Amino acid sequence: MKKKVLSCVLASSMVAGILAGCGSSSSDTAATQAPAAAATEAAAEAATEAATEAATEAATEAAADGELAYKGTLNLMHYSTSEESEGNGGSDGFRTMIQNWQDAHPDIDLEQNVLANDEYKTQIATMAAADDLPDVFLLQGMNTKSWAAQGLILDMTDIIKDSPYYADYNQDYFTPFKDGDKLYGLPVLTGGTCTVVIYDKAAWKDAGFDKFPSTWEDVKKADEYFKANGYDGTIAFGNGGQWQANSDFLSTIGDRYTGKDWFQSIIDGSGAAFTDDEFVKALQFTADIFQSGIFNPDYNDVTNEDAREYFIAGEYPAFIGGNWDESYIAATLKEDDEEAYNNLGFAVLPQPADATQDPDSQNIGLGYAMAINSKVADDPDKLAAAVDFCYYVTGPDFANYVATNYALGGLTKVADVDLSSFSQVDQDFYDYSYVSTTPCEIYDSYVDPAVWSVCNTELQSLMNGDGDAKTVAADIQKAYEENYLSKLK
Amino acid sequence: MLKAIKPKMSTVVALLFIPVVWYVFSVFVPLITALFYSFYEWKGGPSKTFTGFANYSKLIHDATFWQSVGHNLFIVVVCIIGQVGIAFILVLMVQSRLAKCKGIHRTFGFFPSTISAVYIGLIWTMIFDYKRGILNYILRATGHGDTVKVWLNEPSKVLAFVSIPLVWQFIGYYMVILFAAIAAVDKEIFEVAELDGASAFQRAVHIVLPLIKPMILVCLTLCVSGNMKVFDHIYTMTEGGPGTASMVMALYGYKVSFEQSNMGYGSAISVGIFIISLVVIQGSRALVNYLMKDKGVE
Repeated sequence: MKKKVLSCVLASSMVAGILAGCGSSSSDTAATQAPAAAATEAAAEAATEAATEAATEAATEAAADGELAYKGTLNLMHYSTSEESEGNGGSDGFRTMIQNWQDAHPDIDLEQNVLANDEYKTQIATMAAADDLPDVFLLQGMNTKSWAAQGLILDMTDIIKDSPYYADYNQDYFTPFKDGDKLYGLPVLTGGTCTVVIYDKAAWKDAGFDKFPSTWEDVKKADEYFKANGYDGTIAFGNGGQWQANSDFLSTIGDRYTGKDWFQSIIDGSGAAFTDDEFVKALQFTADIFQSGIFNPDYNDVTNEDAREYFIAGEYPAFIGGNWDESYIAATLKEDDEEAYNNLGFAVLPQPADATQDPDSQNIGLGYAMAINSKVADDPDKLAAAVDFCYYVTGPDFANYVATNYALGGLTKVADVDLSSFSQVDQDFYDYSYVSTTPCEIYDSYVDPAVWSVCNTELQSLMNGDGDAKTVAADIQKAYEENYLSKLK
Repeated sequence: MLKAIKPKMSTVVALLFIPVVWYVFSVFVPLITALFYSFYEWKGGPSKTFTGFANYSKLIHDATFWQSVGHNLFIVVVCIIGQVGIAFILVLMVQSRLAKCKGIHRTFGFFPSTISAVYIGLIWTMIFDYKRGILNYILRATGHGDTVKVWLNEPSKVLAFVSIPLVWQFIGYYMVILFAAIAAVDKEIFEVAELDGASAFQRAVHIVLPLIKPMILVCLTLCVSGNMKVFDHIYTMTEGGPGTASMVMALYGYKVSFEQSNMGYGSAISVGIFIISLVVIQGSRALVNYLMKDKGVE
């Protein structure tokens, strides 16, 4: 008897499985073959879209009013670990805002999954692949288009336009999170430069330079002085992780050769190519300058974390890195060596001799945005909670917190930042980041990760003197065509 | 008494079933799903496009993949000689009558095998470090400052340098296996050979080696399979760089899948690794069998 029951259960589950399989495949076929079925599907899709839109509108209103009906769990994934938040304004501000929001909404259980940045990137990509993203998370610019195409992330265009803080948003920061005219995230954390020359003003003064040179020829001259006076070299740099040469160097040097329109054309897929002469020149210049002997010889072996220690130890009078390196160097020197701290200076990359574009450019932006899993739209109350959370952590409270405590800026503009209470070093870095330089784009906030993976790997060889710039450019272009251009609508 | 504690047959079957199910889900299911995904262009997420054998056609023409295969084979050869070969010599040395403190040798020899591969990678990164590494420190201290190099940034030699920690870590592991194999051989055989005037080398090649041949085969299989999937040491030390000079198959699969978010092609690479590893393992076993037979030993 038992066996009979068991066999019935098994047989029926098999049949159900087969039918389910047939169901999905037949609907797929019908959609592609029969126009009538296609029309039905289109109508259904339109209905779903309309429903999502209605839910989004209701959620936005509820969030703007600050009245949340949702009581339950909201999953959040980010990379602002407690270790990272020490001395890092964006991270500290973000964690503080999360805590404030949680305190203000005790009925909502904000479940956080916090990982270090490298692990975060792998984990979130894996979760996206499994269509299992958390409710609210940090979206990296270069994933926007592909995840939007997969329907993984919620279209936040209306949510953003209806935000109570919309008028104060810095519109430039949205660019990496756009797909066509749709917006998929609220840029988060602080707008930080990815390329800054941090130098010891006293050492350079001794070498005969009142400020950091504006040409590489002068840097080479200074190199002779520094090597003859007990320094190991002139500029410390670490590309052991392969991404640093792209994020902290090529992205700005590329802009100096190609100008901003070229990269915009790359993003839009409107004709520019990585094989264009100006970009090849930028690659070639990067390779040449790294082999000129002004950098530490192990630049391709050590990471930026190691290289900045060379600068802190006084072995090199300059270092090239991003805002994350600046906050570490400043915090360390402030504690250990007050004099060295007060001598910190900031400069843009010197201009290559044959570059014709803006010599004051530096790549700055917000690399991540708060994004919402598209499935959250199924529950309007939950969506309202998610939207409210995104508004809050990117809104004026965050901007004021980081401006007052760290002299940093976020998505929301703060009028009249009072810098008088900050040290001269903090004021100088604020001036460098937001006032006296021209912003350009961070390459790897855009396009597709596959393109930059090829670029970073081959650039590392090129910096060693292996291969030639034209071949590297052709390989990047091939990855760009296969992974990005072919997918643009 | 025995009957009282003997479990029912159904309980035994049920308990044994758990590891079988676990094994099937952790080994076969991923393998089959990887095979399934390898026929799709899949950037992650719910939508996939069926592309037939396109990923495999790309794999066949992918220079970086074949470069990685070559690197894996190089590491396998270095490790067979380094891990199993050196372990065999060390075992014979420790087994000899002249060796003292045998227990200490065994314990400390095995010690590196117990350390996580990531730590081993970090330890050796520090040894090779250009500015603060012990290797360059010794060279500078002994007046060889001109030979100092950025060791892990030498494209033509980096593969050999990243193989050293692999060899160092696993010598002890194979020593333990070979100790057990030699302990199982009748001691009188060695004594008789010694009385007959066989040298240490002759005893090793003509007596010990043929007698422990099954264990040597096990060691070779473990060594080849372990090094065909080598990943963590190299990821920690060089991430496959400079460029792709130390790229191995598993690392390339990882980069394509997770760094480039190209899950479909990443799955095809996984299937490629599986097939190539099977061929290499079977090939190495057949080769050893052939070489041993040639010596008239079964």
